Amino acid sequence: MTATMHEFRHSAFVAIEDIQLQSALEGATHKFGTGRTDALAEVPEVEAMRDHFKKVRAATLSQLAHHLETFEKNATAAGTQVHWAATGDDACRIVLDIAQKHGVKLVTKSKSMATEEIHLNQVLSKAGIEPVETDLGEWIIQLAGDPPSHIIAPAIHKTRHQIAEMFTKETGQQVSADDIPGLTELARQVLRQKFLAAGMGISGGNIMVAETGSLVLVMNEGNGRLVTSTPPVHVAVVGLEKLAPTWDDAAVWLSLLARSSTGQALTIYTNIITGPARPTDPDGPQEVHIVILDNGRSKLIGTKYEEVLQCIRCGACLNACPVYREAGGHAYGNPYSGPIGAVIAPLLFGLDKYSGLPHASSLCGACKDVCPARIDLPRMLLELRADEVEQRVLPWWESMSERAAAFGLANPGLFKYGTAVMRQLQRPLAKGDKLNLPGKLNPGQSRKTPALAKRSFHDIWQSGELDNKNGGE
Amino acid sequence: MSARDQILNQLRSNERPAEHPEPWRSRRNFPDLAERFTQTLTAGKGEVIRAASFEAALNEIDTILHELQAKRVVVNDTAPLDGLDVTQQWPDFEWFVAGKSEGDIKSFCAGADVGLSGADAALAETGSVVVSSGPGKSRLATLLPPVHLAIVPTSILTSDILTWTAARQGQPGANRVLVSGPSKTADIEQVLAIGVHGPKRFIVVLYDD
Repeated sequence: MTATMHEFRHSAFVAIEDIQLQSALEGATHKFGTGRTDALAEVPEVEAMRDHFKKVRAATLSQLAHHLETFEKNATAAGTQVHWAATGDDACRIVLDIAQKHGVKLVTKSKSMATEEIHLNQVLSKAGIEPVETDLGEWIIQLAGDPPSHIIAPAIHKTRHQIAEMFTKETGQQVSADDIPGLTELARQVLRQKFLAAGMGISGGNIMVAETGSLVLVMNEGNGRLVTSTPPVHVAVVGLEKLAPTWDDAAVWLSLLARSSTGQALTIYTNIITGPARPTDPDGPQEVHIVILDNGRSKLIGTKYEEVLQCIRCGACLNACPVYREAGGHAYGNPYSGPIGAVIAPLLFGLDKYSGLPHASSLCGACKDVCPARIDLPRMLLELRADEVEQRVLPWWESMSERAAAFGLANPGLFKYGTAVMRQLQRPLAKGDKLNLPGKLNPGQSRKTPALAKRSFHDIWQSGELDNKNGGE
Repeated sequence: MSARDQILNQLRSNERPAEHPEPWRSRRNFPDLAERFTQTLTAGKGEVIRAASFEAALNEIDTILHELQAKRVVVNDTAPLDGLDVTQQWPDFEWFVAGKSEGDIKSFCAGADVGLSGADAALAETGSVVVSSGPGKSRLATLLPPVHLAIVPTSILTSDILTWTAARQGQPGANRVLVSGPSKTADIEQVLAIGVHGPKRFIVVLYDD
């Protein structure tokens, strides 16, 4: 999937017409947004804490190679096998090799944006290995064959009725859509069997802590504990930027992550993994692998886009974004949606393929305000727009019309003449103060493009009519 | 060139001097850690039972196990329960003592009614209990049964995750989990449902020691 200007507009308009989706988006983003505000308000000196966190993230990225090597050294000492993947394909191959080496047929997965990014499930399925998503939301969208529509709530676009129908189809059991605890219990029973039978567990990772070589996973459901404790092998795929040099840094990270995300002080489970089970442990995996994923990240270091790697994937910017709240996640055409997706998808997956995303923003700045690391997303959206012009990724007619507009706006005489001509040309299409444009030119039929007014403001102003209306003498 | 060298070289080519800020320390000062712990965990749908002594805590556990009508209980053989012979203390139940009992711990845990554990630390701010792996300490014991029952002395309470990490010593074991309530989800229409994959109930017996 991609998201060029036309594609984004088209999917966004479809989403806007979907009343159920609009109400789900409104409900979820409002709940997360107010939850975030309340949770952060409870923390002493939270603004200073965010400033501190920003400095930690910036300093870490400045010397990322050093920190990653420390992580590798300490993780290896704890028995973890560390792998490096330059591309998504490489990461998939590494994971597949481990699975095939152990003769794995069934894999349980906990929610991971990194594995969505590299399309790991498709690769495993093709090789005859069944990947089962175990986060309830991820399982729902896996059954539906949908991509995630929110970084932390992947199935917000699905209604209880659709979910009940899918569960019945999958399990053969009848379950009422209005019985949400019942639906949850059914998922628990089905997935519990998968956890116990799986030969390998795959997770993402929220934080790699260099100091001890530990991997931190946060979750509410507990699936990220089951995936990493029940099968004999655990493989984690983690973006190389998710690194905290020390546990002091990780503690601040965790203090901000869940509060910014769901409005919780901490998620129900914070799972810390430092190597495989020790010989004296009663249980736990015999092997732990961590795949450090680059896939276009390292080349951003030292550029004007480095700041985007400070992201901790809390999803706060999605909830705050007026465009995301209407368009929903699928319009972004990749697993990362909202303002962070609009910046990161063009950078990681190609500006030409995602040329619509830098424009999927009103530049209101709400994303920057709520970001725990205060990432300046609006600045980078503008930089990407400038890159589009420089790299000529926009269609020729679009850059031509932009150039014509710039020329016209810079020449008052031409502007006046041009609008006068347009006023005549629009006549057959104008109905009242709106234009009746043919379908292709007006994809959002619910909203009509305004017609040019009969007289320009400039004209009215000069005539002096405004003075009289306001009671002036 | 290996992927590792390729990635590290790319990063090194843009490495800059950076001043890592001094650690951020906790600004919390709770007058009563046990009170804050109880409030937060209860608000997060966990359950807290206060006891005046270790003996009183054992009585509470006895009551809870009977009220739950538990049959099979898995226990982590660790402080403060490690000096105790649970099979003698509570002969009404079928026990699996992690690290001691014979048999497959995974299948026992999968069919157990309650998992009983101690704790390494407890965080007042977030109502969290820290459980870890190690000799006699099973991960599945606190994960697979529908009820996780933890016995926690007030002396291991610390203010928050910042004070907990600031007091760290040595290398951690293979697994450490901060548990802050029963397993939950809101993935279906944002409606809260308790007990999706982990324990449906998380009960802490908090005693003064």
